[in-house]
Amino acid sequence: MAEGDESGEFYLRYYVGHKGKFGHEFLEFEFRPDGKLRYANNSNYKNDTMIRKEVFLTPAVLKECRRIVAYSEIMKEDDNNWPEPDRVGRQELEIVMGNEHISFTTSKIGSLMDVQTSKDPEGLRIFYYLVQSGVLFTEDYFTAPGKI
Amino acid sequence: MANVEAEAVDFEPEEDDLMDEDIGDGSPNRAAVPRLKSAITGGGSSSASKKTKGRGFRDEATAEADRNARMSARFDSLDSEGGPGPERSIEGWIILVTGVHEEAQEDDLQNTFGDFGEIKNLRLNLDRRTGYVKGYALIEFEKFEEAQRAISEMDGTEFLTQGINVDWAFSKGPIRRRNVRRRYAFSYSIDSPLRKCQTQILGSY
Repeated sequence: MAEGDESGEFYLRYYVGHKGKFGHEFLEFEFRPDGKLRYANNSNYKNDTMIRKEVFLTPAVLKECRRIVAYSEIMKEDDNNWPEPDRVGRQELEIVMGNEHISFTTSKIGSLMDVQTSKDPEGLRIFYYLVQSGVLFTEDYFTAPGKI
Repeated sequence: MANVEAEAVDFEPEEDDLMDEDIGDGSPNRAAVPRLKSAITGGGSSSASKKTKGRGFRDEATAEADRNARMSARFDSLDSEGGPGPERSIEGWIILVTGVHEEAQEDDLQNTFGDFGEIKNLRLNLDRRTGYVKGYALIEFEKFEEAQRAISEMDGTEFLTQGINVDWAFSKGPIRRRNVRRRYAFSYSIDSPLRKCQTQILGSY
């Protein structure tokens, strides 16, 4: 991990959602600089209700998140050539790290095939995997069996 | 390095004012971007000092309004902020292990950390791209003492030829500069844990 990656503030927010038959369904989480991790999951399918949870993380966890983000090199990417958000869905990834601030948007990515056939498969792949890591990390805590 | 780290958590001025002058040193971004809010919205004066990139900045006002609508409702949490939270249940005490070898197996962790108590839950996520371990593990103990011992005895040790760090994963409240600073003043190393505070996992929804 490069030295510069350790520096500065860190904020990360991810959103994926769409508006459709079941209303506005989405999943969103954010890591805030004070350690607060917020998670919201709104699925109206079969009358599922909104889940909104928050917890405070230690600096050790934030540091690990930052390491993962830095390692992914997402900050070097650009969403210029990514598929625009559409009716099927929207993803947003916002990260503040050091003195860089990205706010990327794209459509939903169904599978790696979507990535492959896009105009920027390399960049989109980085996005795709980073988002997976983030979702995994948060879901470990907010949706694991027995935790709800 | 110490300053750099302090800056990362330096966003909540209230009740930390005493430390402001010290902290400011070596934190070039601080003056420009002291608050979370501005960092999130990317709007206002703060973003001027940051390199911004992405389509998300295009229609900020609308996006922010949407976001506020989504995130404004009450979030369930433990009573860490003093409010009357939802029904509360503490599942266990969770620690974070970082620097985990990419070829580590759950069994390796189980064997090593099982010495401190029964492991209720163990998460070792893989990097979906490479198939290797992502680098961290989350381990849940039933008792506070077990977790505490795992931290104090395993932090900074070698595990599968790699140095690991072990610390609490969750904290009772926001990161406070004061604590961070005090810790860093005498015990900074690249991956050292900052704070040994009680942690809890969210309970019921």
